[in-house]
Amino acid sequence: VYPPSKSKAPLPSSAAHSSHQRRPEKPLRSSPCGSSGEIPSSDLISRFVKQSNMAAASSSSTESPKTTTERRGIPGAQFVEDVETYLTQTGFDVNSALAFLQERLQQYKLVEMKLLAQQRDLQAKIPDIEKCLDVVATLEAKKGTGEALIADFEVSEGIYSRACIEDNDSVCLWLGANVMLEYSCEEATLLLKKNLENAKASLEVLIADLQFLRDQVTVTQVTIARVYNWDVHQRRIRQIAASSPSKDS
Amino acid sequence: GTGGSETEVTWEDQQNINKFGRLNNRFHELEDEIKVAKEAIDNLEDASNELILTDEEVVRFQIGEVFAHVPKEEVETRIEEMKELNSKNLEKLEEEKESVVAQMAELKKILYGKFKDSINLEED
Repeated sequence: VYPPSKSKAPLPSSAAHSSHQRRPEKPLRSSPCGSSGEIPSSDLISRFVKQSNMAAASSSSTESPKTTTERRGIPGAQFVEDVETYLTQTGFDVNSALAFLQERLQQYKLVEMKLLAQQRDLQAKIPDIEKCLDVVATLEAKKGTGEALIADFEVSEGIYSRACIEDNDSVCLWLGANVMLEYSCEEATLLLKKNLENAKASLEVLIADLQFLRDQVTVTQVTIARVYNWDVHQRRIRQIAASSPSKDS
Repeated sequence: GTGGSETEVTWEDQQNINKFGRLNNRFHELEDEIKVAKEAIDNLEDASNELILTDEEVVRFQIGEVFAHVPKEEVETRIEEMKELNSKNLEKLEEEKESVVAQMAELKKILYGKFKDSINLEED
């Protein structure tokens, strides 16, 4: 039995949305030492939210255990217990229901592309930070010995030069936006470790977002199939009813 | 699917389908990760073989983006450590993959059991 839908104010996704600052996209890749802050929300998600609010007027209440209303601006897909009840309640006819669901699916796909791109960026950033940590650790290890560290580094594609790095206490970290700051080795290690943790935490949140999104995609796909099948079934019933001769004429 | 039969999809079914989708995704991710880990181990093998052959005392070992001059023994130790790390990682990945495959097989049984032809859980 379908839970009765209470007519309610639109889903509070905009509230969750605004707590999440809208910043212009920053390319995360360029600065392994820069701040790896939150994942900026985007216009796509806000557009998504507006449209879901329009449909939200007739969808189930937030207390329904069968719909996680939304997550960080991504609306949840409503699980349909019974196709017929769903259609009567939303007032959709089959074609508009299918159109609505298809559109939802497209929107989900768009958001998925975006999240996947962010995931790739983060996954590239993490090894970068780890490499930096390696270098700082090596410098620190050399500090006590009094030996200089000799290293070959790339000057340009295919051209390497030799550097002799004397004992010293500080390193410079590239923070991005053409800014490079000098830090002591300990401070540098701390900063890099913090950035690494932030990046890993952001990645976890992102992966959870993607999983949620994929679930909603699956639910929507199944709903589309069921609405379509129900329609086929209905047509068949009507056809049989129409073609059978009336018994009392 | 074909038959417009009224096998109803319950919330539990939906959750099973969702879970299957998630596992399938994870399966492909794991395959890629395993491939990368195996390549890393091969490279380390090659590197340590080269080390045995070389008669240089100082080896250029990549740290970060530069090649530091490191004495041969230290390089050998480091490479052994990296091999250990990668092997452990590979083992963990293989274990997870086995678990995922087993769970997917279970779900297939349940879902095909209920929906038979109306559902397709195979790779295209």
